[in-house]
Amino acid sequence: MIELESIEKTYQSQEVTTRVLRGISFRIEDGEYVAVMGPSGSGKTTLLNILGCLDKPTAGHYRFEGTDMVNLDDNDLSRIRNRKIGFVFQLFHLLERTSSLKNVMLPLLYAEKYPEDADQRARKALEEVGLSQRILYKPNELSGGEQQRVAIARALINNPSLILADEPTGNLDSRSGAEVLAVFQRLHEQGRTIVLVTHDRSVAEHAGRILELSDGLIVREEKIARPRDARAEAASQAAAEEDR
Amino acid sequence: MRDWGIVREGMRALSVHKLRTFFMMAGTLVGIGGLIVVMAIGRGTGEKVMKRVNNFGPRAIMVYAGGGKEMGPPDMTVTTLTLEDAEAIRGAIGRISIISPMAWNTRMSLKREASQIRSVVWGVEPNWHEAYEWYTSAGEGISAEDVATLARVCLIGKTVKEELFGNENPLDGRIFVNKVGLTVKGVLEERGTSPGGGDFDNRIILPITTAMRRVLNVEHLGAIRLITEDTRYMSGQVEALQQLMRQRHHIIPPQEDDFRIITSIVVANLARGISRTLSILLFALVALSLVIGGVVMMNILLISVGERTREIGLRRALGASRKDIFIQFLTESLAVTLLGMILGSLLGWSASLVLAQSTRIPVVVSWQSFAAAVSSSLLIGVFFGVQPARKAARLHPVDALR
Repeated sequence: MIELESIEKTYQSQEVTTRVLRGISFRIEDGEYVAVMGPSGSGKTTLLNILGCLDKPTAGHYRFEGTDMVNLDDNDLSRIRNRKIGFVFQLFHLLERTSSLKNVMLPLLYAEKYPEDADQRARKALEEVGLSQRILYKPNELSGGEQQRVAIARALINNPSLILADEPTGNLDSRSGAEVLAVFQRLHEQGRTIVLVTHDRSVAEHAGRILELSDGLIVREEKIARPRDARAEAASQAAAEEDR
Repeated sequence: MRDWGIVREGMRALSVHKLRTFFMMAGTLVGIGGLIVVMAIGRGTGEKVMKRVNNFGPRAIMVYAGGGKEMGPPDMTVTTLTLEDAEAIRGAIGRISIISPMAWNTRMSLKREASQIRSVVWGVEPNWHEAYEWYTSAGEGISAEDVATLARVCLIGKTVKEELFGNENPLDGRIFVNKVGLTVKGVLEERGTSPGGGDFDNRIILPITTAMRRVLNVEHLGAIRLITEDTRYMSGQVEALQQLMRQRHHIIPPQEDDFRIITSIVVANLARGISRTLSILLFALVALSLVIGGVVMMNILLISVGERTREIGLRRALGASRKDIFIQFLTESLAVTLLGMILGSLLGWSASLVLAQSTRIPVVVSWQSFAAAVSSSLLIGVFFGVQPARKAARLHPVDALR
């Protein structure tokens, strides 16, 4: 589904040239759950931005479902982001003073045609992340984990073929983090393709494959034979908290 | 449909940040309110001028006995304006269609049986009717024969009729003016009140010869009314008239004229008063407040774009194109100015009504004011909204999300 071929990204600022990505090639198959791991500054967010069509590589080829993304213009990329890609960010990026439902419906605004069942779809997406009871809550009335799950529901609403998550647990306590990862696990089980960026190995080990990034290059690729079970972790975290 | 959703998104931001919206709107509100009032005053003055000019006669030139520049009745103490002057004008000034000399007395008492009324007496030639386009509603007008025979006849205005005759038929009734008995030959059409508050209908019209020799006992005229063939000749004719009259009355420039020439142009200028200068000044103020309002709005929007960088980045990530973001932010500025326009129009409208009620300033609110309000607010919304919208649209999604 995704094919990267010697992707390079260089930032030019006055005299200084920074090579953030220095030739990255890999493939991701349909339905895979891949973690991109690396310390900060390794270029993993840049890589995610390129995968998410938010940024263009300086050199190399990026094929998404067989189409070369490099030659597309801003409008085409916007359309692809809207239809094919769901983003989950570290800082949730929900609209303030806006209900969960409206937040989830936001991507539909930029769809070619606003669906008639927008409301139903948003409710269903919220149900999928276990927030049917929080439909009219505003972000400041939700916990961090709940906010991130609203963001995941938002990523799901256009039924994208790829979900990109940038440190989705980075701002959460371990229990909420486990809950969010459990949602990803379920989405993976439903057959969605997920790319998760993290600096945390224990988070990355929930995926089926880890790409380790260092200094703009993939330095290691690792298949996880038995990924960690986020659902079990979430359950035990919840139990532990109740004991306290 | 898609764009409409984005437009609504722009408006939603305004309803969420109400105070910010109010500050963005304030300049437009005040400016548009002012615009409505200024235009209403302009229009009101225009109509007033128009009315006065039409009352006076757009093609009329009046030569009055007595100097000065003011409007008003002739100076009855000046005796230098004569029928010979009228004849001389006829010979010397071209392209005049009517020359109508008039004898005049503003303080005469009319008597009939026990009733009495103070009225204005005019002695006129038959062409007076055409010169003023003023005819009789009953009976006959002044004829050439009346003038030739010094006929003891008169026409009366509606007020005179009501005061002296009440409900009786005045035709062929007798009135005494200065102990001279006159037969009522006709009743003048009603003209109502003059802009100065005088009663047009309180007057009595006599054949000029009857007036001069039988009633007023004068050799001079009160005024000569000229009707030009076309207003474009008017200024030339006025100049020629002035020279002719000075020559005939032996006036050498430092000396004051013993006559004055009033045209519809003079009437219009007098009616306009200082309102022209004032409205230019007010218009400048209105324009200034609209522009300042626009600049304030633009700056608030620019700050808001800065504050909402993340939101813009998010929207881009979720699939908003540059154009979508541009539309959203332009909607904000347009909605602000249009809202300001609506509230400002209401403000201006009510202020105009208050002005019309409580002052003598002529105020007429017209649909043109609202058309101007709509177009100027649209112009400002676009002009000052484009830059913030462009700034928002140009943000790179990666930088915006950071």
